Amino acid sequence: MGRDSDRPVPDHGLDQPNPAPLVAMRGITKRFGSVTAVTGADFDLHSGEIHALLGENGAGKTTLMNLLYGLEQPDDGTILIDGDPVSFRSAHDAIEAGIGMVHQHFQLVPRLSVAENVILGAGEGRRIRLPDLTEVAETVEELGRRYGLGVSATSLVTDLSVGEQQRVEILRALYRGARILILDEPTATLSPVEIDHLIEQLQGMAGTGTAIVMITHHLDEVMTAADRITVLRAGVNVATLPAETTSPLELARLMVGREVAMLSEVGEAEAAANRAGSTSAGVSVLTLQDLSSASEAGARGEHARDFFDVSLEVRASEIVTIAGVEGNGQAELEAVLCGLSEPASGRIHLGRADVTDAAPRELLDAGVGMIPSDRYRHGLIRGLSVAENLVYDRIDKPPYGRRLWIDPKAVAARGADLVGRFSIAVRGPSTAASTLSGGNAQKVVLARALGTDLQLLIAAQPTRGLDVGAIEFVWNQISEQRDSGVAVILITTDLNEVIALSDRCFVIYRGRLVETPLDREAIGLAMGGAGSRAEGVPAR
Amino acid sequence: MTAPVKAMDPLDPPDTDRDAARLAAGWSARLSALGLSAAAVAAAFLLGGILLALAGANPFQAYADMVSGTFGSRFDVSLVLVETAPLLLIGLGLAVAFRARVWNIGAEGQLLMGALVGGAFAIYAPIGTRAVMIPAACVVGALAGGAWGWIVGFLRARWSVNEVISSLLLNYVALRILEYTIRKPLRDPVGFQPVSETLPDAARLPDIPGLRTHIGLLIGLGLIPVVAYIMRRTPFGFHTRMMGLNRDATEAAGVKTGRLITAVMVVSGAFAGLAGILQVMGPESRLTGNISPGFGFTAIIVALVARMRPVGVLLAAVLIGALTLGGDVIQRTQQVPRVLTIVIQALFVLLILVADKVGRRSR
Repeated sequence: MGRDSDRPVPDHGLDQPNPAPLVAMRGITKRFGSVTAVTGADFDLHSGEIHALLGENGAGKTTLMNLLYGLEQPDDGTILIDGDPVSFRSAHDAIEAGIGMVHQHFQLVPRLSVAENVILGAGEGRRIRLPDLTEVAETVEELGRRYGLGVSATSLVTDLSVGEQQRVEILRALYRGARILILDEPTATLSPVEIDHLIEQLQGMAGTGTAIVMITHHLDEVMTAADRITVLRAGVNVATLPAETTSPLELARLMVGREVAMLSEVGEAEAAANRAGSTSAGVSVLTLQDLSSASEAGARGEHARDFFDVSLEVRASEIVTIAGVEGNGQAELEAVLCGLSEPASGRIHLGRADVTDAAPRELLDAGVGMIPSDRYRHGLIRGLSVAENLVYDRIDKPPYGRRLWIDPKAVAARGADLVGRFSIAVRGPSTAASTLSGGNAQKVVLARALGTDLQLLIAAQPTRGLDVGAIEFVWNQISEQRDSGVAVILITTDLNEVIALSDRCFVIYRGRLVETPLDREAIGLAMGGAGSRAEGVPAR
Repeated sequence: MTAPVKAMDPLDPPDTDRDAARLAAGWSARLSALGLSAAAVAAAFLLGGILLALAGANPFQAYADMVSGTFGSRFDVSLVLVETAPLLLIGLGLAVAFRARVWNIGAEGQLLMGALVGGAFAIYAPIGTRAVMIPAACVVGALAGGAWGWIVGFLRARWSVNEVISSLLLNYVALRILEYTIRKPLRDPVGFQPVSETLPDAARLPDIPGLRTHIGLLIGLGLIPVVAYIMRRTPFGFHTRMMGLNRDATEAAGVKTGRLITAVMVVSGAFAGLAGILQVMGPESRLTGNISPGFGFTAIIVALVARMRPVGVLLAAVLIGALTLGGDVIQRTQQVPRVLTIVIQALFVLLILVADKVGRRSR
């Protein structure tokens, strides 16, 4: 087991001009079907350094590291470890080579002890006899002391906090002899205090020569923790920089990209024109008052996907955007707004009516349209026809049906009408929804939500995964709704979408809202958490 | 509300989503789904033939005996149809539940409760005319079965109790209650066996003219188009199909899925309860401890082989009813154990699941 104690003295990569890297990935390309996730990327890792891998959602960070950890195999390019080319067929090979990876979602068995979890799948299981658990526990606690990862080896994982569980994951990697440690979004589920601890521990480990890769999109953590930073954009390594010579602003620019910035100037001009043309915002439609999905106490580390003290007002004829990197509480906010889960505290008012505990039925009847972020899970039933999908939320209401019967002619007529109005490309309304492309599937969701008179539209990630033409269509539909007097709340991770559509913008970061000017850089910084250094400044 | 039952669904015919998509795609697709079932049934008979040969029988002769012993005379056909009637009724109810992806394994218990409460009603209610007594007892039996199913639905909707487990266990509760009542309160005072009194004549089902099959079969046949209509043309049926295809989207569309699950359990329980009281008023004529040789479990196979389609349920119920009697026939003529036919029934289900997987991969 374990680490060899006669390992060479760690060389701190940055001190020497051109040391041989511990890991060198050269010209790595990985395709999934027609999508290229990583394109000709280079990546170096030295022992003793913390190397942050930064990028937007879908930039290819996790894919690049999955390739290093043997979970995926590159289509092109080479991986060298200690200068020797390697080709890992599975994570098992990578572990043998001294690589450990801690995934965003921990892979622990809650009912087993820390020591038992550490030896799970460590290769020891292949022997008939299990290793002596007392010995394992001692080794684990010794490792914990050495790296400041204190955790009791005999306690059950289920009794541990999220931060402690993460330490168990790291200890497991170290126990298997990892000298290269990959952490995927290690801070995503941690509380601010736990993040500080984690960074300290990682720096301690780097001090003893472990090489650490940290996948993240939080700019301020990168600045405090990392020695070097690699920025990926659309699968391409756009820069690798030493931390001391860069700034959050530069990193935000690199993440978003120059081309995109230029593209957006057109978009911004257009958007400005749009805004000028739209009627000024009217009466208040949706009011959120100190809305939280969990109590603060329960939130300590355990439910970092929660949101807290969200207060905002959406008026008729305006689009209020909630921008943010995924996993900052917006999914839970969406579920609460759509009536799929109940907030822990706070009130929601629709006009004058209190709809805090309203079920989806009441919201739909009150004229709330919903475009769910996961369209295939919440917005479409593939086994039904397109026409049925277009009316399934009102099948028991005239003219489509009553309590005891359905009028198929009315359903078909409505289907044909909406297929025409939203130019959904299908052979006919009776076609199975399973045959729809992504863009047309989203048009069905849109048509169902927008096909009636609304007072509020909740649009979550409305263009995710769509092609350019479909994006434009969706954007036009949403701004038409705004122009016709509907209040729109837009939840998105896409900066371009924020700029193109918003009248007002909030950024959600770690469950809290911050109002942000409609400025690409300001929003980008706030999405990375750099705009809200003081944790928990309530936004109004 | 998210009940993590996925991994435990022993009956989950995987990907009804795709399956239903195929069906929505039109008649040709519908035929190919039926063809898949037919192919699986044929393959099961083939494998069954090998088993028969291994057991020392001549498989061709055994199958020939089965056919002549079940469809050879009007009397044999009558017997097959007596077996078919409860399988048809329960299978229709289970088809509704399984379309909703509500895995009701408790039809046996729902049948027993329908038989017990309906039977007690038939024995004690002072009604002298068949035209009143039979429909009234049917309603009572169906209500009792529905109530037994309601327990399962309520537990699932309220506390996310896995319906596979609760409905399965309630079978045994129902059986014990039945055994108790025929030993104590309902016991025939003059008999030695733990059985109830014989039902009054007004509560005995007449036979279908020309057959020796009770009219319960006609009730089952009459309910086929009713179920088909409900599934296609009512909001209840539509929501049931929706929920089976995508529960999250159904909830987001404003359907109260907890209530719907409960309703589905009540409906499928009522069908089983109706089958139970018809068994008592038909072939059994009194309450005994073995009213059902496992109809509630066999009907699960019926619903799955039928791919949850009402007309398919009829075909599958006749097939499996005949196979059950055919087992008795070959036990007599070929000296092979009749349980071999139960193995063939099990092969139906296994092969249909395999055919589904293969069918999907080839697409």
